[in-house]
Amino acid sequence: MKPETGGNDQLRGVKRNSDPVLRVTGLRAYFNMRYFGIAREVRAVDDISFIVRRNEIYGLAGESSCGKTTLIKTIAGAIRPPLEVISGSVEFDFGKRRVSIYEAAPEEIEDIRWEHLSYIVQGSMNVLNPLRRVRNAFLDFAFRHIGKSMPEFQRIVEDHLKRLHLEPSVLEAYPHELSGGMRQRVTIALATVCRPEFIIADEPTTALDVVVQKSVLAMIREVQQEIGSSMIFVTHDMAVHANMADRLGIMYAGRLVEEGRTADVFASPMHPYTAHLISSLPRIGDLSIKQALEGAPPNLSDPPSGCRFHPRCPLAMDICRRENPTLTTLAPEHRVACFAASPKVKPSGETTGSRLEHAEAMQ
Amino acid sequence: MRRYLLYVAKRLAQFFLVVFIGISLTFFITHLTPIDPVEQMVSSMTAFGNTSPEAVKMMREALQELYGVQGNLLEQYFTYLSRILVLDFGPSLSAFPTPVSVLIERALPWTIGLLFTCTMLSWLIGNMLGGLAGYFRNSRILKVLGAVAMGFHPIPYYIIAFVLLILFGYLWPILPITGGSGQNIPQGFTFEYITSVLSHSILPALSIILVGIGGWFLGMRALVSNIVTEDYVLYAELGGVKRSRILPFYVIRNALVPQITGLAMSLGAIFNGAIIVEQVFSYPGLGRLLIGAVYSADYSLVLGVTAISIIAVSASVFLIDILYPLFDPRVQLT
Amino acid sequence: MLKIARDLFRYNREFALGSVLIACVIGIAALSVFSPYNPLDTYVVPPDVPPSWAYPLGTTSRGQDTFWILTFAMRNTLLFGFTVAILSRLISLLVGMVSGYLGGLADRVLMSINDTFIVVPLFPLLVLFYFVMRDYMSWALLALVMASLGWAYDARLIRSIMMSLKEREFTRTSVFSGMTTRQIVLREHLPYVLPIVFSTTLNNINWSIGLEVTLSVLGFTNLDTPTIGTMIFWANQHSAMVSGVWWWFTFPTLSITVTFIGLFMLAVSMNEYIDPRSRLSRMGGTTS
Repeated sequence: MKPETGGNDQLRGVKRNSDPVLRVTGLRAYFNMRYFGIAREVRAVDDISFIVRRNEIYGLAGESSCGKTTLIKTIAGAIRPPLEVISGSVEFDFGKRRVSIYEAAPEEIEDIRWEHLSYIVQGSMNVLNPLRRVRNAFLDFAFRHIGKSMPEFQRIVEDHLKRLHLEPSVLEAYPHELSGGMRQRVTIALATVCRPEFIIADEPTTALDVVVQKSVLAMIREVQQEIGSSMIFVTHDMAVHANMADRLGIMYAGRLVEEGRTADVFASPMHPYTAHLISSLPRIGDLSIKQALEGAPPNLSDPPSGCRFHPRCPLAMDICRRENPTLTTLAPEHRVACFAASPKVKPSGETTGSRLEHAEAMQ
Repeated sequence: MRRYLLYVAKRLAQFFLVVFIGISLTFFITHLTPIDPVEQMVSSMTAFGNTSPEAVKMMREALQELYGVQGNLLEQYFTYLSRILVLDFGPSLSAFPTPVSVLIERALPWTIGLLFTCTMLSWLIGNMLGGLAGYFRNSRILKVLGAVAMGFHPIPYYIIAFVLLILFGYLWPILPITGGSGQNIPQGFTFEYITSVLSHSILPALSIILVGIGGWFLGMRALVSNIVTEDYVLYAELGGVKRSRILPFYVIRNALVPQITGLAMSLGAIFNGAIIVEQVFSYPGLGRLLIGAVYSADYSLVLGVTAISIIAVSASVFLIDILYPLFDPRVQLT
Repeated sequence: MLKIARDLFRYNREFALGSVLIACVIGIAALSVFSPYNPLDTYVVPPDVPPSWAYPLGTTSRGQDTFWILTFAMRNTLLFGFTVAILSRLISLLVGMVSGYLGGLADRVLMSINDTFIVVPLFPLLVLFYFVMRDYMSWALLALVMASLGWAYDARLIRSIMMSLKEREFTRTSVFSGMTTRQIVLREHLPYVLPIVFSTTLNNINWSIGLEVTLSVLGFTNLDTPTIGTMIFWANQHSAMVSGVWWWFTFPTLSITVTFIGLFMLAVSMNEYIDPRSRLSRMGGTTS
């Protein structure tokens, strides 16, 4: 019987190593748009730094449009104009190789894809070519990395599917012949067949019904433990994070506001936003009325000054309106960016003035 | 397999429906006329001489039988339909007594040869170039090609044919502008004959291809620009699938599928273009036959060519329709 | 509306070019009211005079001033094309909206008929029509016939828009709030359909003018009315190509080509403007 929280070292096949597989430093990615003479800059990812260790699932939480998807797209190196990386770096250490996404040559990056870095997408997206059978998808994505002969490759794929409790006959199907849940499972199998060191999972169970959700999550956990890969798991559903993540990062309006071991974050959240997210989870026997946060998520093209959460924060102080708090370590492996959490949190000294005036000037 | 046969059966039903409606339309058009074709024929035949009243009467009766104008409208309709079924269009009046079907038989291969080649060429080339233009959006050459395609596409076939006629017929006479082959060259599989056929078909083919390519180019370019933003293409790029794989198998192949439907839909228009072009270059196909028939008031020939055109185009569309599921596995076969 | 047109003009090259071309063409057609000659008269000026100061586009072998005949030709041709387009829009809209909204059996029946009109080659039918009508052929009749043949392609476009609109939220809300089908279709859906209808109108004008020119050149229409097609017809009749009277067919060909390209560019730029995906890419974004 596997434990529900993802936190126990001894039960893992691969020894956890504290070398980071992924190191993100000071990453900023903005959308720059021009339309009929009007320029707009949306600061989707604003100065984010964190690491993900070997054999660890890092959960990324936050409401819609907080920048989670943009962040992981930036990490995967899958951005295109008008989204651009303004500053910062994304560095992978796969053991045998190290790649810095925004410094390496495009061929190098194409090389590491799928073999070292793969991607699982939202359940609702149609990521399989509708005109090609599933086995061709495996051929297209994985064959060149596995490098064996065709019959051996075939066998490897079938073994992999069987281990993940999928029928090998699914290879002959066309995507539209499979149900949504089935398609998602096939995609997960596809993303893991090359045993990558790092997997990005972007809301893989959203848009699936709850029963299918459970089996898909179990599958993800199983395959992650078997391969020993690290994972960034993005979802707004805190219950899923409680189930899956070893460490948890909370994002708000393009910034990381809290990060720590899942158990710690759930037991003692230090940021008011985190506290709110966790309290919104229903608990058996809890009859209290849930309060919604007042206000709405900020417009990222014209964000609030200082701490971006201050318009909706019940603990907002004067300094919160003026200064942006730095992400500070306040407990072992537990970082928070909130002035109210502790006086140790200092302002980051960053100008939050809109770059809009500058943009308008360049017409 | 059984589902496929059901699908074919449905398409066949559509084919018969189209032919039926088309043929009926022609019937009604011909019977709309305030002119009585029999009287017209009679008057033109008796215009130049003295004919005895009995001879005129016999002529009139014979013509009436020929035209099938005996009996009331419904009877005429059924006579008409039954004749079409066996492809009996009666004798041509301008080439009396050669049956219309013989004339059509002679002209049909020319039209089909021209049409088939031109359609295939413009579809293939237009789609390939359009696909590349949609994928490599910043290529200068492809942008220029796009502008040229946009320039040619809206111009009707007649004008292009006409311009080409002027250019190559009078200003720069290096290509033959009339006929299907040289006047004195006998038919047969000789080198001389084949090159003559080819050189005579260059200008008509060019007219059709120039107009056609633009349409396919623009359509394909739009399709590809949309497809490159599709989830499965982006995912393949995320998965490090090489561009040499993505372009043909994820982009072009997927964009070609709606273009196949487009091909079926535009066959009627391309056919129109072909017969106009034939007229301009006196190419011995159905087009010239039709127009000539109108000029010489050859009623049965006009009717025959119209009917055959409808049948031929519908049959081609039917063929494309039944081949379509081979390209798109998502098609509902029920 | 005007603001959209102004924005399009400024930022979309095709739209700007198309508008300029069409403006020129309409200008030429409008000049016909100033013509000193009656378009139906022949031999009012010395024939076969090449372009010169007195006759800027020369004169024809029938003794008409090419320039003034051209203005009438453009006017008649444009009017004809416009009439056919408007008439066939009515049928397209009716069939498309009914078929798209009602769905089911009505849709299947209508679409089967619709596809017939797409597949059947229309030109032989028109030729046949002329053949049986001969001297009774008038422009109004021809316009009517063409309109009743040329609606099929666009009806399908409108139908697919209607089908997607039917699934949208606001339709269901309207149904629940008790609006009748007619009200829903006219008040809620029509505004979405009209932009597409506008661009298909432009294409349809191209199509009908093209067909008119072709039919006239072959001599299948009323040849006394000056239109672009009949001009070229008469030029051919008098062997203008061989006798070197190039101005007689060159100028109509040129002006009608300009018309076609102009209308086409307008239609294409409108289509691109309406399509939300391309709008996004024009803003510099992607749709992913």
